[in-house]
Amino acid sequence: MTQTLKINGREKQFPEGQIPQTLSELLHQLNLDQATIVAEINGQIVERASFAETKIAPGASIELVRFVPGG
Amino acid sequence: MPAKEGIKSECDALVLMPVRFFMEQNMPPVFYEIKNAVIGIAGLGGLGSNVAVALARLGAGKLIIADFDIVEEGNLTRQQYFLDQVGRPKVTATVENLGRINPDIDIKTHRVRLTPENIPQIFAEADVIAECFDLPDQKQMLVETVLTRMQRPLIVSVSGVAGYGNSNAIKTTRISKRLILVGDGITVARPGTRLTASRVGIAAYHQANAIVELVINELHKVEIGGPNDTNT
Repeated sequence: MTQTLKINGREKQFPEGQIPQTLSELLHQLNLDQATIVAEINGQIVERASFAETKIAPGASIELVRFVPGG
Repeated sequence: MPAKEGIKSECDALVLMPVRFFMEQNMPPVFYEIKNAVIGIAGLGGLGSNVAVALARLGAGKLIIADFDIVEEGNLTRQQYFLDQVGRPKVTATVENLGRINPDIDIKTHRVRLTPENIPQIFAEADVIAECFDLPDQKQMLVETVLTRMQRPLIVSVSGVAGYGNSNAIKTTRISKRLILVGDGITVARPGTRLTASRVGIAAYHQANAIVELVINELHKVEIGGPNDTNT
């Protein structure tokens, strides 16, 4: 049995029980620097200050915008 | 159209305000909408200085520009400034340059470092904001602030514009209702992969073009010939 998150339109499977519990954990797993990420869960923007306490439910649709230097 | 003070004929208007004259004649729907929109530009570097010039040529009527920095020699490789402007605040140099293209713009300038505290107030009137910062944590801060602390403005942001070539990797993508993202999302500016006029310029013009599209299709403030149309 696997659980799914939809990240930037693509489904990502996790073995049951191994789905990240919070947005912070997900970003850590994906090796992304939190300071450069704007995140939306199910269409709702999440403030960076709340990443650590924002729970992720299986099936959630998550949009991650990563900013890189340059401009 | 009613003559602006000091303008006696169409001929005078053409000499004084050619952008207005030609845009009004050739692309009235674009001109009327862009003239009435309030457009914010956060950062006046490689992206912002080019976005500002594009909007001035399109006939933008109301701009809010913000940048704390001064023009440096190295900026001349890609930013819309000139040698004699080195050492001057970018907001001042931008006002001067835009006025030489199109004097018919109301420009509000803010020579400040933008923060979550001052952004909502500085851009309170904006319909759409161009995010034109260089550093990723600053880009994040601006986008997050606009999306969480402001109700209305759309934001056109940029990620991944460094280097040269690979033009077609730069795309404009609608992320969500109020967030539009330009760039390849990958190419990082660092020693060896610096910013070039050619590639950062592509991104800046993507931004300006996205702004025109949003203003025409989504903001749509003025019905031509309608009660708010001050142009007829």
